Amino acid sequence: MSIYFTIAQAATDTTGVVGGTDFRAIALGLLTGVSFGAILQRVGASSYEMIVNMLRLKDLTVMKFFFLAVGVGAVGIYTVDALGTAHIGIAPLYLLGLVVGGLVFGAGWAICGYCPGTSLVAMGEGKVDAAITVLGGLAGALALALTWDWIRPLLVDPLNFGPTSLPDILGVRPLLVAVVLTAIIVVFDAYLDRPGTGRKSSSTGKPAGNTAPGRAQGGP
Amino acid sequence: MKSGGQLLQPKKRLNWIAGGILLGLLNAFAVATYGALGVSRNYVVADGFLLRLFGSDINSTNSYLSGMPATADWLFMIAPGMVIGGFLAALLTGSINTRSVPRLWKSRFGDSKPKRFAAAFAGGFLLLFGARIAGGCTSGLVLSGAGQLAVAGFVFGASIFASGIITAKLLYRRQAP
Repeated sequence: MSIYFTIAQAATDTTGVVGGTDFRAIALGLLTGVSFGAILQRVGASSYEMIVNMLRLKDLTVMKFFFLAVGVGAVGIYTVDALGTAHIGIAPLYLLGLVVGGLVFGAGWAICGYCPGTSLVAMGEGKVDAAITVLGGLAGALALALTWDWIRPLLVDPLNFGPTSLPDILGVRPLLVAVVLTAIIVVFDAYLDRPGTGRKSSSTGKPAGNTAPGRAQGGP
Repeated sequence: MKSGGQLLQPKKRLNWIAGGILLGLLNAFAVATYGALGVSRNYVVADGFLLRLFGSDINSTNSYLSGMPATADWLFMIAPGMVIGGFLAALLTGSINTRSVPRLWKSRFGDSKPKRFAAAFAGGFLLLFGARIAGGCTSGLVLSGAGQLAVAGFVFGASIFASGIITAKLLYRRQAP
């Protein structure tokens, strides 16, 4: 496994530049971002309604989409890795920071209805409140930077197991873990997708649970 | 069928299966070229750019900001790319939407713009404050982190969904639809 850098580790291990600053890196980064944004927009992940109704467990479309992307990504990433060209970086496992950060993040997610990426996409679509969320995000990121010396010894240094992956713990080949994870996700998605369950009823956001399975078609 | 005046109709949306496969392949492509997809670090990098623009030297003294790149790199370009991608996708499908208050928000909290903007700002603040404590967001830690089978991605994913679901249920507790 080739670990060139750790993408999610800038917080604990300041690696600086990620992926290079040459023309090819800049152009490909931009193109990758454009594709990322376009996919999120087309699926509806940049919609306040889609995200909040997912968190209210009324419409699980984005959840199914996202879980599937994790599974397909895992198989794809470790297929690439088996071919020997993957730039893999395992995020460090510091339990307190992940849980506390996740709880703070989740509250913000439900309040604004975007995540750091989808707010950028929604801003591109023209949504004014999403642009405000991006401003709030810049302020939140700055607040963290200014309080980092206080937060790090509290939430990041204790219970920090460093980069830890499932294959490491299980002692199994990563690609096998990825395939099994994807199989679990596909079964779970299929379970969520069964008629009448957490399914989008219409653009007016009617409760899916109160809608007869036959009517849950999601549009005229 | 009654429509809520929403510009982006579900029928025009990409099916979640196709979207999930495409995003998974994009993530694998990213890892094959430069690295996994990530967004939240770029907010800190952008803060650094802005502070430098306004002549602040905090970038060199602050322990967190000093670790950030001084110029745009591959990962940073994902952020402006996503804005452009959202714009192009909306433009090409006729779903540009310049509303300030989401329809569902309006049905629960009214159509006050300042109220929605305050929530949008506060939510964004919490998102990035939390993401940078954890070292990533939905993209860097869950999509890419769990996608790379990092245990951290699963822990963070469980935390954000638990907190997000509880908060959304509380916010909309008096609302049937």
